[in-house]
Amino acid sequence: MPAIEAHSLAKSFAGRRALWDLSFSVERGEVFGLLGPNGAGKTTALRILAGLISPDSGSAQVAGHTILPGAPSNAALRGSIGLLTEQPGFYDRLSARENLVVFGKLQGLTAHEADRRATALLARFLLAAHADRPFAVLSRGMKQKLAIARALLHEPAVILLDEPTVGLDPEATREVRALVGELAAEKRTIVLCTHHLDEVERLCARAAFVAGRLLAVHEVKSLATGTYRLRIGLDSPAEGALRTLRALPFVLDAQAEMAMGAALRANALHSNDLLVELRHASSVPDALAALVASGTRISSAVPVRHPLEEAYLALLAQARDEGLIS
Amino acid sequence: MTAPLRGARVMVEKELLELRRSPLLLLSMISLPFTVVLMPLGLYAWLTHAAPEQAVDFLRDLYGISAEGGKAAALAALLAKNWLPMFLVLPIFLPILIAAQSVGGERERRTLEPLLATPVTTLEIILGKSVAAVVPSVFITWIAAAIFCGGIDWLALPHMPVGARAPLPDATWLFATVVLSPLLALFGNAIAVVLGSVVADPRAAQNLAGMTVVPLLGALVAQLAGRVSLGWRFYSVLAIATLLADIALVALAARLFDREKLLTRWR
Repeated sequence: MPAIEAHSLAKSFAGRRALWDLSFSVERGEVFGLLGPNGAGKTTALRILAGLISPDSGSAQVAGHTILPGAPSNAALRGSIGLLTEQPGFYDRLSARENLVVFGKLQGLTAHEADRRATALLARFLLAAHADRPFAVLSRGMKQKLAIARALLHEPAVILLDEPTVGLDPEATREVRALVGELAAEKRTIVLCTHHLDEVERLCARAAFVAGRLLAVHEVKSLATGTYRLRIGLDSPAEGALRTLRALPFVLDAQAEMAMGAALRANALHSNDLLVELRHASSVPDALAALVASGTRISSAVPVRHPLEEAYLALLAQARDEGLIS
Repeated sequence: MTAPLRGARVMVEKELLELRRSPLLLLSMISLPFTVVLMPLGLYAWLTHAAPEQAVDFLRDLYGISAEGGKAAALAALLAKNWLPMFLVLPIFLPILIAAQSVGGERERRTLEPLLATPVTTLEIILGKSVAAVVPSVFITWIAAAIFCGGIDWLALPHMPVGARAPLPDATWLFATVVLSPLLALFGNAIAVVLGSVVADPRAAQNLAGMTVVPLLGALVAQLAGRVSLGWRFYSVLAIATLLADIALVALAARLFDREKLLTRWR
């Protein structure tokens, strides 16, 4: 049985639709990405799954608890969820440890157990040296790590992370991503809500693209091949260039642009473009040299964005065409 | 299985810990009682030495003071009667200082969502925050009243006949502090919780809630002007009215504390 199953969730605020027809499922131990632009309804979806708000229609099962429209807020569901909110949200005058202990006790832990787990998590997240400092004086990265620690305190069945790296500097971003990576490696059930594609690529097995409603669900690994892709613009016919490239051992694939999928066509430069997949970026000069040697006239050579990004942008364009987002 | 209302106890602990770490809030909570106690004591000490008998007689007539025991006893009775409403302002005003920050403050500091994401119930949140606001306020009011009564007695007794009864606390004072003060503290807290739930800005909620002391201050001014005489009947009616208002406000606060609306709606 999946850890999370959402069926046609819909939610409006003051007559404005925030979410409609959102369905997806997350298996136990899976890290699932919720991708979408600002205002796409990602946070609303997480709040529904966390039992903070109820859907207008649709239903969901989260960690064995049922979420239905108009149902009273479910304390048992909230106790099964570890939620990282977009803002860390701690009490400024309380120390890092005191904050964790307070939230641990609110989750139903005894004072002793809350303190024991807080100490362990502070040590794990390299915050032990700052445990007794007021929350207000901690750096943004420390605050975010503390918020992740809070989400884990009660060992929840499902962890919901809302934009874990938003507003962080690069160093803090790297630390927080590493931390989420550790959780992923522990096979925890995580829903990661973000608009950072590299986070999804690095951490998630699957990702749902959301813009009010579900646009698509992709296997991230099938999109991320690890090879290097190059778009080559030609001032001469493509057939000869394709024959040359396909004969090279380090070229995995070479296609005329028009033969590629819809997502890639949306970003085509012109009809003589070639899309070439190389085993490694270091082969680019050799590939270009081979083309020049064969008499091909090259007008441009541009690295192709990552396939995940391509898919994301294509889905966003589709969402705009359908009027789902502005 | 967690104990019933365990979340409320945790909320009380958290609120009191925050209060202890807020020196400015503590200072503002202590400064008003400090003024309310010291000002009349200083005035009394001065009047017992400086006020002419004719002036005291005039005040006796104006306020209907019939205390036996000379000038000191008359002035003590005068202050006891006229200053009592200020000790009723304290238990309304002090919880407002704490409670107005409670819901609105949680929202402003972005702690509301993590708090609502825990299994703690709405009742536990309201109860915890209310106890943390009402108990210290009543406690401070009682200490202030005890210091005031003790101070008046200490200043008055040397000027009164040997064996005379200490002027304070009298029955009205005991009723006002023991019965009425907690009811008024609940009132101030409930007003603050209601306003904190519907007004986004905690400072605006605090200012609006603070307006509730105005009728009591008006009664004090009317009494000082000799227009009304606040006695047993007034304080009994006030107690019953406050009790009814408390029940209505607590019900309203529980209704307004809609977890979803608090999280998603801004005013």
